Amino acid sequence: MFAKHVSSLTSAYCHDELSPDESRRVAEHLISCERCRGEFEEVKFGARLAAQLPLIEAPDSQWRGIEIALDRKGRPAPTPTRRRLTSFFVQPRFAVAALALGVLVIGFAAFWLRPNSKPVGATWDVARLDGAPRIGSALINDKSKLGVGQWLETDTNSRAQISVSDIGHVEIDPNTRVRLVETNPTEHRLELAEGRLSARISAPPKLFFVDTPSGVAEDLGCAYSLEVDKAGNSLLRVTTGWVSLQLKDRASVVPAGAACATRPGVGPGTPYFEDASETFRAALSKLDSADDSRPADRASLKIVLASARVRDTLTLWNLLPRVTGPDRELVYDRLAKLVRPPDGVTREGVLKLNQQMLDTWKDQLESRWDDNLSPGLLNAWRRTWARGLGKLNGLEGKK
Amino acid sequence: MYVEQRVHSSPDSINAGVITACQEGDREAFRLLFEAYKDRVFSIACYSLGNEAAADDITQQIFVKLFTRIGQFRGDSEFSTWLYRLVINSCLDERRKQKRFLPVEDFTPMPVQRKSPETKYERREIAGSVREAIGGLKPKMRLPILLKYIEGLSYEEIAAVLGCSKGTVASRLNRAHKALAKKLSYLRGELEL
Repeated sequence: MFAKHVSSLTSAYCHDELSPDESRRVAEHLISCERCRGEFEEVKFGARLAAQLPLIEAPDSQWRGIEIALDRKGRPAPTPTRRRLTSFFVQPRFAVAALALGVLVIGFAAFWLRPNSKPVGATWDVARLDGAPRIGSALINDKSKLGVGQWLETDTNSRAQISVSDIGHVEIDPNTRVRLVETNPTEHRLELAEGRLSARISAPPKLFFVDTPSGVAEDLGCAYSLEVDKAGNSLLRVTTGWVSLQLKDRASVVPAGAACATRPGVGPGTPYFEDASETFRAALSKLDSADDSRPADRASLKIVLASARVRDTLTLWNLLPRVTGPDRELVYDRLAKLVRPPDGVTREGVLKLNQQMLDTWKDQLESRWDDNLSPGLLNAWRRTWARGLGKLNGLEGKK
Repeated sequence: MYVEQRVHSSPDSINAGVITACQEGDREAFRLLFEAYKDRVFSIACYSLGNEAAADDITQQIFVKLFTRIGQFRGDSEFSTWLYRLVINSCLDERRKQKRFLPVEDFTPMPVQRKSPETKYERREIAGSVREAIGGLKPKMRLPILLKYIEGLSYEEIAAVLGCSKGTVASRLNRAHKALAKKLSYLRGELEL
């Protein structure tokens, strides 16, 4: 009867992990074997203790960190090197050498990488390019720091360059005032009160923002210039990639080669390619100046439509939600004449601003907006930034 | 089992569609997956590494690794088994790295104030003592305990995650239970059985 003790099965018995036959055998044995019964009581107590183990709640900040890491995944990662080093270090005969080397590497890394190990975005490095730019009342030398809330100002003869954390640079032209509003791993934000800046950013979309009196420029992975006049009007000119301009619920997504003006209280105008004709641009400017007190000028619209090239379908597509009634019909007809809508995109749907149809048509039009980009290259670029661009209708996004 | 389930998302809400979407790079689907498993992964990391800051880091690394490797999941096993294998391996790797620089004998448990046997224990105080005691177990015994009591896996699932037999799992849990009972014997009268 006591030939086969069951102490090794007691946990499985507690957790109901035994077959019915085994379970019965254990139960019968426990009744008659004091030694196994004692061990069973011990295991049962241990199991009840373990059941007190609480689930620990993960910190709220986790997802943000993961998103940032995923967004940056495209950058050169040190993982393969580290893996090779790791396999080297774990060999026992290299353990001492590895430890010594590790200490040296860490020491050198700590020394050379000191600037990068500072809290991200606590300050940005600023360098003087010309003249005597200032941060507050202090003159900038070759290596100054711009902190959150501080203003950087240039006069007529001075220029400066700001390093935007580790994601790019911004050049500050003469007669400009900028302020560092925010800098953290998920958002870097400048305010451009007046003047002109040129930004070159290599980072995932929606990481770098510039506030202006008439809207927010949101970087979608690109290079661009932005200038603001004394009245708060601004002009965005994109040289590579895309930039989104937004004010409240009005937005424009501006591709490379295009520009877009914004006005305080009105927001982004209609984007246009800078190589469009003077006639086209002048008429568009008049159209964009329309507001509630000054309705759209039908004559200007007709000039825009008549002088539009295939490439100017960028402007016409963006005009669709900005005009109404018969004006929208005119825009549709001209757009359809320049680039026939793809299958599934109907006149009725577009006039009702069916978002899916607008997006489908836009996907087709994009390949006609940049002569330098083949559709393949353009698609590759779009895939790279697809998530950040989100809906490219220009009507949604972070404000 | 005493666990605090999050109401908005749980592993049960993760179906094949969510996993397929994750494999196609859908970030929203991955967010669902993250919400469903984050506390479980973080808990295992905490109990394995004994340090919440390190657990925070390793949990992020695990999910980034998961996002890039989820395409390799072929459905040959349960997704949770596959995930927990990744979690356990990452935590073991991290512990090995820590050991290279910290000459500790074994796990350094998170500090929990020890009470005298005479003190009337609140549930969370008991949990703290259990947490400390489990931190002091060797990984071979600790991991089956975490997979059983934090993740609620069966012996077969634990065996699949740890790459051992079901009998080995039973044996290690047996030893772990006995070790806990011995270490925390002073709680025998306090724990309502």
